[in-house]
Amino acid sequence: MNRWFLLFIPLILFCFLASKPLWGQEDEEEYPQEPIIFTKPVKAVIFDHKFHVEEAGLSCEDCHEDVFEMATGTAEENEDFNMEALYNGKYCGACHDGESAFASDKKCTTCHIGVLGWQRLKRQERKTSH
Amino acid sequence: MDLKKFGKWLASLKNEGVDTIPLEERRSFLKMGLKVTGVFAGGTILSVASKLEKAQAIPPAYVGTFPYKPHYAMVLITDRCVDCELCMEACVRTNHVPPYGWRTRIFERKIKGPEGYVRQFMPVLCNQCNIPPCVRVCPTKATVKDPKTGIVKMIPKKCIGCKTCMTACPYDMRYFNEERRAVDKCDFCWESRLSKGGKITACAEACPAGVRIFGDLADPKSKVYQIVYDPARVIWVLRPETGAKPNVFYTIEGLG
Repeated sequence: MNRWFLLFIPLILFCFLASKPLWGQEDEEEYPQEPIIFTKPVKAVIFDHKFHVEEAGLSCEDCHEDVFEMATGTAEENEDFNMEALYNGKYCGACHDGESAFASDKKCTTCHIGVLGWQRLKRQERKTSH
Repeated sequence: MDLKKFGKWLASLKNEGVDTIPLEERRSFLKMGLKVTGVFAGGTILSVASKLEKAQAIPPAYVGTFPYKPHYAMVLITDRCVDCELCMEACVRTNHVPPYGWRTRIFERKIKGPEGYVRQFMPVLCNQCNIPPCVRVCPTKATVKDPKTGIVKMIPKKCIGCKTCMTACPYDMRYFNEERRAVDKCDFCWESRLSKGGKITACAEACPAGVRIFGDLADPKSKVYQIVYDPARVIWVLRPETGAKPNVFYTIEGLG
Protein backbone atom coordinates (compact mmCIF):
# COMPACT_ATOMS: atom_id res chain seq x y z
CA MET A 1 0.00 0.00 0.00
CA ASN A 2 2.66 2.47 1.07
CA ARG A 3 4.95 1.56 -1.79
CA TRP A 4 2.30 2.29 -4.38
CA PHE A 5 1.64 5.63 -2.82
CA LEU A 6 5.29 6.55 -3.06
CA LEU A 7 5.27 5.75 -6.75
CA PHE A 8 2.59 8.32 -7.35
CA ILE A 9 4.44 11.23 -5.74
CA PRO A 10 6.89 11.87 -8.61
CA LEU A 11 4.00 11.56 -11.06
CA ILE A 12 1.97 14.21 -9.28
CA LEU A 13 5.04 16.44 -9.03
CA PHE A 14 5.63 16.05 -12.74
CA CYS A 15 2.06 17.03 -13.53
CA PHE A 16 2.44 20.17 -11.49
CA LEU A 17 5.65 21.13 -13.22
CA ALA A 18 4.29 20.42 -16.69
CA SER A 19 1.11 22.41 -16.24
CA LYS A 20 2.56 25.40 -14.39
CA PRO A 21 6.05 26.64 -15.07
CA LEU A 22 7.37 28.33 -11.94
CA TRP A 23 9.33 31.08 -13.65
CA GLY A 24 9.53 33.06 -16.90
CA GLN A 25 5.77 33.63 -17.19
CA GLU A 26 5.05 36.92 -15.46
CA ASP A 27 5.86 39.34 -18.28
CA GLU A 28 4.09 37.33 -20.99
CA GLU A 29 0.70 36.95 -19.37
CA GLU A 30 -0.74 40.31 -20.22
CA TYR A 31 -4.11 38.99 -21.36
CA PRO A 32 -6.13 35.84 -20.68
CA GLN A 33 -4.74 32.96 -22.71
CA GLU A 34 -7.96 30.99 -22.68
CA PRO A 35 -10.76 32.21 -24.97
CA ILE A 36 -13.82 33.75 -23.32
CA ILE A 37 -17.09 31.92 -24.02
CA PHE A 38 -20.34 33.86 -23.78
CA THR A 39 -23.37 31.68 -23.13
CA LYS A 40 -26.01 34.38 -22.67
CA PRO A 41 -28.33 35.28 -24.29
CA VAL A 42 -27.48 32.42 -26.70
CA LYS A 43 -24.99 29.59 -26.57
CA ALA A 44 -22.17 30.05 -27.42
CA VAL A 45 -20.00 32.91 -28.63
CA ILE A 46 -16.22 32.85 -28.55
CA PHE A 47 -13.96 35.78 -27.89
CA ASP A 48 -10.26 35.15 -28.17
CA HIS A 49 -7.98 37.75 -26.55
CA LYS A 50 -5.00 36.23 -28.32
CA PHE A 51 -6.39 36.95 -31.78
CA HIS A 52 -7.55 40.46 -30.95
CA VAL A 53 -4.23 41.44 -29.41
CA GLU A 54 -1.78 39.69 -31.69
CA GLU A 55 -3.55 39.67 -35.07
CA ALA A 56 -5.80 42.72 -34.79
CA GLY A 57 -3.19 44.68 -32.85
CA LEU A 58 -5.48 46.02 -30.15
CA SER A 59 -4.22 47.14 -26.78
CA CYS A 60 -6.01 46.60 -23.47
CA GLU A 61 -7.16 50.25 -23.33
CA ASP A 62 -8.95 50.00 -26.68
CA CYS A 63 -11.74 47.98 -25.08
CA HIS A 64 -11.21 48.11 -21.30
CA GLU A 65 -13.02 49.62 -19.44
CA ASP A 66 -15.14 51.58 -21.94
CA VAL A 67 -16.55 48.80 -24.10
CA PHE A 68 -16.14 45.86 -21.78
CA GLU A 69 -15.40 45.71 -18.07
CA MET A 70 -12.29 43.77 -17.17
CA ALA A 71 -14.12 40.92 -15.47
CA THR A 72 -15.53 37.83 -17.12
CA GLY A 73 -19.32 37.64 -17.19
CA THR A 74 -20.16 41.30 -16.54
CA ALA A 75 -21.42 42.03 -20.06
CA GLU A 76 -23.58 38.92 -20.01
CA GLU A 77 -25.43 40.20 -16.97
CA ASN A 78 -26.66 43.23 -18.93
CA GLU A 79 -30.17 43.18 -20.40
CA ASP A 80 -29.05 44.74 -23.68
CA PHE A 81 -26.19 42.34 -24.43
CA ASN A 82 -27.66 41.17 -27.74
CA MET A 83 -27.25 41.58 -31.50
CA GLU A 84 -29.47 44.68 -31.59
CA ALA A 85 -27.03 46.49 -29.27
CA LEU A 86 -24.12 45.37 -31.42
CA TYR A 87 -25.76 46.87 -34.51
CA ASN A 88 -26.04 50.11 -32.55
CA GLY A 89 -22.31 50.18 -31.91
CA LYS A 90 -22.26 48.78 -28.40
CA TYR A 91 -20.03 45.96 -27.09
CA CYS A 92 -18.40 44.07 -30.02
CA GLY A 93 -20.26 46.41 -32.39
CA ALA A 94 -17.87 49.22 -31.43
CA CYS A 95 -15.40 47.75 -33.92
CA HIS A 96 -17.51 45.15 -35.73
CA ASP A 97 -19.34 47.74 -37.79
CA GLY A 98 -18.16 46.81 -41.26
CA GLU A 99 -15.33 49.37 -41.26
CA SER A 100 -12.85 48.57 -38.49
CA ALA A 101 -13.79 44.92 -38.54
CA PHE A 102 -16.40 42.77 -40.30
CA ALA A 103 -19.97 43.85 -39.58
CA SER A 104 -21.92 42.28 -36.76
CA ASP A 105 -24.61 40.99 -39.10
CA LYS A 106 -22.14 39.13 -41.29
CA LYS A 107 -20.05 36.01 -40.83
CA CYS A 108 -22.19 34.83 -37.92
CA THR A 109 -20.35 31.60 -37.31
CA THR A 110 -16.95 33.25 -36.95
CA CYS A 111 -17.87 34.13 -33.35
CA HIS A 112 -20.95 31.96 -32.85
CA ILE A 113 -19.31 28.60 -32.36
CA GLY A 114 -22.57 27.16 -31.10
CA VAL A 115 -23.19 24.41 -28.61
CA LEU A 116 -21.20 22.01 -30.77
CA GLY A 117 -18.14 24.23 -30.79
CA TRP A 118 -18.46 24.91 -27.09
CA GLN A 119 -18.63 21.21 -26.28
CA ARG A 120 -15.60 20.58 -28.47
CA LEU A 121 -13.62 23.24 -26.59
CA LYS A 122 -14.64 21.70 -23.28
CA ARG A 123 -13.51 18.29 -24.48
CA GLN A 124 -10.14 19.71 -25.56
CA GLU A 125 -9.77 21.43 -22.20
CA ARG A 126 -10.45 18.19 -20.38
CA LYS A 127 -7.91 16.41 -22.53
CA THR A 128 -5.13 18.93 -21.92
CA SER A 129 -5.80 19.23 -18.20
CA HIS A 130 -5.31 15.50 -17.67
CA MET B 1 -33.07 -23.98 -73.38
CA ASP B 2 -36.34 -25.43 -72.25
CA LEU B 3 -38.01 -24.26 -69.12
CA LYS B 4 -37.01 -27.26 -67.00
CA LYS B 5 -33.33 -26.82 -67.78
CA PHE B 6 -33.58 -23.12 -67.20
CA GLY B 7 -35.17 -23.78 -63.85
CA LYS B 8 -32.40 -26.15 -62.89
CA TRP B 9 -29.72 -23.70 -63.96
CA LEU B 10 -31.45 -20.98 -62.01
CA ALA B 11 -31.61 -23.16 -58.92
CA SER B 12 -27.94 -24.04 -59.24
CA LEU B 13 -26.90 -20.36 -59.07
CA LYS B 14 -25.35 -19.29 -55.81
CA ASN B 15 -27.38 -16.77 -53.86
CA GLU B 16 -25.04 -13.83 -53.49
CA GLY B 17 -27.38 -11.80 -51.38
CA VAL B 18 -28.77 -8.40 -52.21
CA ASP B 19 -26.05 -6.39 -50.49
CA THR B 20 -23.61 -6.55 -53.39
CA ILE B 21 -25.97 -5.21 -56.03
CA PRO B 22 -25.09 -1.65 -57.07
CA LEU B 23 -27.71 0.86 -56.01
CA GLU B 24 -28.29 2.14 -59.55
CA GLU B 25 -28.93 -1.30 -60.95
CA ARG B 26 -31.10 -2.21 -58.01
CA ARG B 27 -33.21 0.86 -58.53
CA SER B 28 -33.69 0.43 -62.26
CA PHE B 29 -34.52 -3.17 -61.61
CA LEU B 30 -37.13 -2.28 -59.05
CA LYS B 31 -38.52 0.26 -61.48
CA MET B 32 -39.11 -2.54 -63.97
CA GLY B 33 -41.36 -4.02 -61.35
CA LEU B 34 -39.31 -7.05 -60.45
CA LYS B 35 -38.43 -8.20 -57.00
CA VAL B 36 -34.82 -8.43 -55.87
CA THR B 37 -34.61 -12.02 -54.78
CA GLY B 38 -30.90 -12.27 -54.31
CA VAL B 39 -29.97 -14.16 -57.46
CA PHE B 40 -27.24 -12.14 -59.01
CA ALA B 41 -25.55 -13.64 -62.02
CA GLY B 42 -22.63 -11.99 -63.76
CA GLY B 43 -23.59 -8.46 -62.83
CA THR B 44 -27.22 -8.80 -63.87
CA ILE B 45 -29.97 -9.45 -61.45
CA LEU B 46 -32.24 -12.30 -62.32
CA SER B 47 -35.68 -12.76 -61.03
CA VAL B 48 -38.79 -14.48 -62.22
CA ALA B 49 -41.11 -13.04 -59.61
CA SER B 50 -42.96 -10.02 -60.91
CA LYS B 51 -44.60 -7.35 -58.87
CA LEU B 52 -45.46 -5.14 -61.77
CA GLU B 53 -48.84 -4.09 -60.44
CA LYS B 54 -47.16 -2.63 -57.37
CA ALA B 55 -44.53 -0.76 -59.30
CA GLN B 56 -47.08 0.75 -61.65
CA ALA B 57 -48.91 2.44 -58.81
CA ILE B 58 -47.07 5.74 -59.28
CA PRO B 59 -47.33 7.81 -57.16
CA PRO B 60 -47.61 5.18 -54.45
CA ALA B 61 -50.99 4.91 -52.80
CA TYR B 62 -49.67 6.18 -49.46
CA VAL B 63 -48.69 9.52 -50.93
CA GLY B 64 -52.27 10.77 -51.17
CA THR B 65 -53.23 13.95 -52.97
CA PHE B 66 -50.64 16.43 -54.10
CA PRO B 67 -50.24 19.20 -53.23
CA TYR B 68 -51.82 18.87 -49.86
CA LYS B 69 -53.99 21.60 -48.42
CA PRO B 70 -52.37 22.92 -46.37
CA HIS B 71 -49.07 21.65 -47.68
CA TYR B 72 -46.85 22.07 -44.63
CA ALA B 73 -43.24 22.74 -45.44
CA MET B 74 -40.17 24.32 -43.89
CA VAL B 75 -37.35 26.39 -45.30
CA LEU B 76 -34.07 26.44 -43.43
CA ILE B 77 -31.86 29.44 -44.07
CA THR B 78 -28.78 27.61 -42.92
CA ASP B 79 -26.21 30.37 -42.78
CA ARG B 80 -28.34 32.21 -40.22
CA CYS B 81 -27.99 29.28 -37.86
CA VAL B 82 -25.59 29.78 -34.97
CA ASP B 83 -26.24 26.45 -33.24
CA CYS B 84 -27.70 27.99 -30.09
CA GLU B 85 -29.91 24.91 -29.98
CA LEU B 86 -32.90 26.82 -28.63
CA CYS B 87 -34.97 25.00 -31.26
CA MET B 88 -33.87 21.65 -29.92
CA GLU B 89 -34.65 22.73 -26.36
CA ALA B 90 -38.10 23.95 -27.40
CA CYS B 91 -38.74 20.71 -29.27
CA VAL B 92 -37.74 18.60 -26.26
CA ARG B 93 -40.06 20.62 -24.02
CA THR B 94 -43.00 20.56 -26.42
CA ASN B 95 -42.84 16.98 -27.59
CA HIS B 96 -41.35 15.34 -24.47
CA VAL B 97 -38.30 14.04 -26.28
CA PRO B 98 -36.09 11.92 -23.99
CA PRO B 99 -32.41 12.86 -23.56
CA TYR B 100 -31.25 9.98 -25.75
CA GLY B 101 -33.63 10.87 -28.57
CA TRP B 102 -34.07 13.68 -31.08
CA ARG B 103 -36.67 15.06 -33.40
CA THR B 104 -34.38 17.67 -34.81
CA ARG B 105 -30.64 18.02 -34.77
CA ILE B 106 -27.97 20.46 -35.79
CA PHE B 107 -24.92 19.38 -37.71
CA GLU B 108 -21.75 21.29 -38.33
CA ARG B 109 -19.56 21.39 -41.36
CA LYS B 110 -16.64 23.38 -42.61
CA ILE B 111 -17.02 24.72 -46.10
CA LYS B 112 -14.41 26.47 -48.15
CA GLY B 113 -15.11 30.16 -48.51
CA PRO B 114 -13.15 32.95 -50.18
CA GLU B 115 -11.16 33.56 -46.98
CA GLY B 116 -10.47 30.01 -45.94
CA TYR B 117 -12.79 27.60 -44.21
CA VAL B 118 -15.99 28.80 -42.63
CA ARG B 119 -18.20 27.02 -40.17
CA GLN B 120 -21.75 26.30 -41.24
CA PHE B 121 -24.45 24.81 -39.09
CA MET B 122 -27.16 22.72 -40.63
CA PRO B 123 -30.39 22.03 -38.78
CA VAL B 124 -32.04 18.80 -39.86
CA LEU B 125 -35.49 17.52 -39.02
CA CYS B 126 -37.90 15.03 -40.56
CA ASN B 127 -38.21 16.06 -44.21
CA GLN B 128 -41.88 14.98 -44.37
CA CYS B 129 -41.05 13.44 -47.74
CA ASN B 130 -43.62 13.23 -50.49
CA ILE B 131 -42.45 9.70 -51.20
CA PRO B 132 -41.39 8.68 -47.69
CA PRO B 133 -39.12 5.64 -47.57
CA CYS B 134 -40.06 5.06 -43.92
CA VAL B 135 -43.75 4.70 -44.76
CA ARG B 136 -42.96 2.34 -47.55
CA VAL B 137 -41.00 -0.07 -45.38
CA CYS B 138 -43.21 -0.12 -42.28
CA PRO B 139 -44.65 -3.64 -41.98
CA THR B 140 -47.51 -2.64 -39.69
CA LYS B 141 -48.42 0.75 -41.22
CA ALA B 142 -47.51 2.38 -37.96
CA THR B 143 -46.10 5.35 -39.82
CA VAL B 144 -48.33 7.05 -42.36
CA LYS B 145 -48.34 10.00 -44.70
CA ASP B 146 -51.34 12.02 -43.70
CA PRO B 147 -53.54 12.36 -46.81
CA LYS B 148 -54.73 15.82 -45.73
CA THR B 149 -51.62 17.65 -44.58
CA GLY B 150 -48.84 15.47 -45.94
CA ILE B 151 -47.24 15.17 -42.53
CA VAL B 152 -45.52 11.85 -41.91
CA LYS B 153 -47.00 10.68 -38.63
CA MET B 154 -46.48 7.84 -36.21
CA ILE B 155 -49.24 5.69 -34.78
CA PRO B 156 -47.34 4.50 -31.67
CA LYS B 157 -49.75 1.72 -30.73
CA LYS B 158 -49.24 0.04 -34.10
CA CYS B 159 -45.44 0.20 -33.89
CA ILE B 160 -43.78 -3.13 -33.16
CA GLY B 161 -40.33 -1.57 -32.74
CA CYS B 162 -38.66 -3.33 -35.67
CA LYS B 163 -36.76 -0.11 -36.46
CA THR B 164 -36.88 -0.74 -40.20
CA CYS B 165 -38.06 2.83 -40.70
CA MET B 166 -35.01 4.10 -38.82
CA THR B 167 -32.82 2.32 -41.34
CA ALA B 168 -34.90 3.49 -44.27
CA CYS B 169 -34.90 7.17 -43.30
CA PRO B 170 -32.29 8.96 -45.44
CA TYR B 171 -32.00 11.71 -42.82
CA ASP B 172 -31.63 9.62 -39.64
CA MET B 173 -34.50 11.54 -38.08
CA ARG B 174 -36.17 8.66 -36.25
CA TYR B 175 -35.30 7.24 -32.87
CA PHE B 176 -36.73 4.50 -30.70
CA ASN B 177 -38.56 5.88 -27.70
CA GLU B 178 -38.00 3.43 -24.88
CA GLU B 179 -40.86 4.77 -22.78
CA ARG B 180 -43.46 4.57 -25.53
CA ARG B 181 -41.94 1.37 -26.92
CA ALA B 182 -42.34 2.93 -30.33
CA VAL B 183 -40.33 4.87 -32.85
CA ASP B 184 -40.76 8.62 -32.50
CA LYS B 185 -40.18 11.38 -35.00
CA CYS B 186 -40.93 14.98 -35.87
CA ASP B 187 -44.53 15.53 -36.95
CA PHE B 188 -44.21 19.29 -37.49
CA CYS B 189 -45.67 19.58 -33.96
CA TRP B 190 -48.99 18.22 -35.24
CA GLU B 191 -49.88 16.46 -31.99
CA SER B 192 -48.64 19.16 -29.68
CA ARG B 193 -49.51 22.36 -31.54
CA LEU B 194 -50.96 22.34 -35.06
CA SER B 195 -53.91 20.06 -34.26
CA LYS B 196 -54.75 22.36 -31.35
CA GLY B 197 -54.92 25.43 -33.53
CA GLY B 198 -51.24 26.37 -33.50
CA LYS B 199 -49.86 27.92 -36.64
CA ILE B 200 -46.16 27.31 -36.24
CA THR B 201 -43.87 24.60 -34.94
CA ALA B 202 -42.11 24.97 -31.59
CA CYS B 203 -38.66 25.02 -33.20
CA ALA B 204 -39.59 27.75 -35.69
CA GLU B 205 -41.04 29.83 -32.88
CA ALA B 206 -37.98 29.39 -30.67
CA CYS B 207 -35.39 30.27 -33.32
CA PRO B 208 -33.91 33.69 -32.52
CA ALA B 209 -32.15 33.99 -35.88
CA GLY B 210 -35.06 33.28 -38.22
CA VAL B 211 -33.53 30.13 -39.64
CA ARG B 212 -36.66 28.00 -39.63
CA ILE B 213 -39.43 29.35 -41.82
CA PHE B 214 -42.54 27.24 -41.45
CA GLY B 215 -45.68 27.53 -43.52
CA ASP B 216 -48.02 26.34 -46.20
CA LEU B 217 -46.34 25.64 -49.53
CA ALA B 218 -49.72 25.62 -51.29
CA ASP B 219 -50.41 29.21 -50.26
CA PRO B 220 -48.73 31.81 -52.53
CA LYS B 221 -48.95 34.39 -49.75
CA SER B 222 -46.89 32.35 -47.28
CA LYS B 223 -43.25 33.11 -46.69
CA VAL B 224 -42.31 29.54 -47.43
CA TYR B 225 -43.92 29.74 -50.86
CA GLN B 226 -42.22 33.04 -51.63
CA ILE B 227 -38.80 31.72 -50.71
CA VAL B 228 -39.10 28.34 -52.42
CA TYR B 229 -40.51 29.76 -55.65
CA ASP B 230 -38.19 32.78 -55.74
CA PRO B 231 -36.31 32.38 -59.04
CA ALA B 232 -33.37 34.42 -57.72
CA ARG B 233 -32.73 32.06 -54.86
CA VAL B 234 -30.80 28.82 -54.74
CA ILE B 235 -32.88 26.17 -53.04
CA TRP B 236 -31.80 22.64 -52.35
CA VAL B 237 -32.92 19.58 -50.49
CA LEU B 238 -30.85 17.03 -48.63
CA ARG B 239 -30.01 13.78 -50.38
CA PRO B 240 -32.14 14.29 -53.50
CA GLU B 241 -30.74 11.08 -54.96
CA THR B 242 -32.93 9.00 -52.68
CA GLY B 243 -35.97 10.22 -54.59
CA ALA B 244 -37.88 10.88 -51.40
CA LYS B 245 -38.93 14.38 -52.54
CA PRO B 246 -38.61 16.23 -49.23
CA ASN B 247 -40.78 19.10 -48.00
CA VAL B 248 -37.90 20.65 -46.09
CA PHE B 249 -35.87 23.05 -48.19
CA TYR B 250 -32.51 24.67 -47.66
CA THR B 251 -31.18 28.00 -48.77
CA ILE B 252 -28.66 30.62 -47.69
CA GLU B 253 -28.93 34.33 -47.10
CA GLY B 254 -25.38 35.05 -48.23
CA LEU B 255 -24.07 36.41 -44.93
CA GLY B 256 -20.58 35.12 -45.66
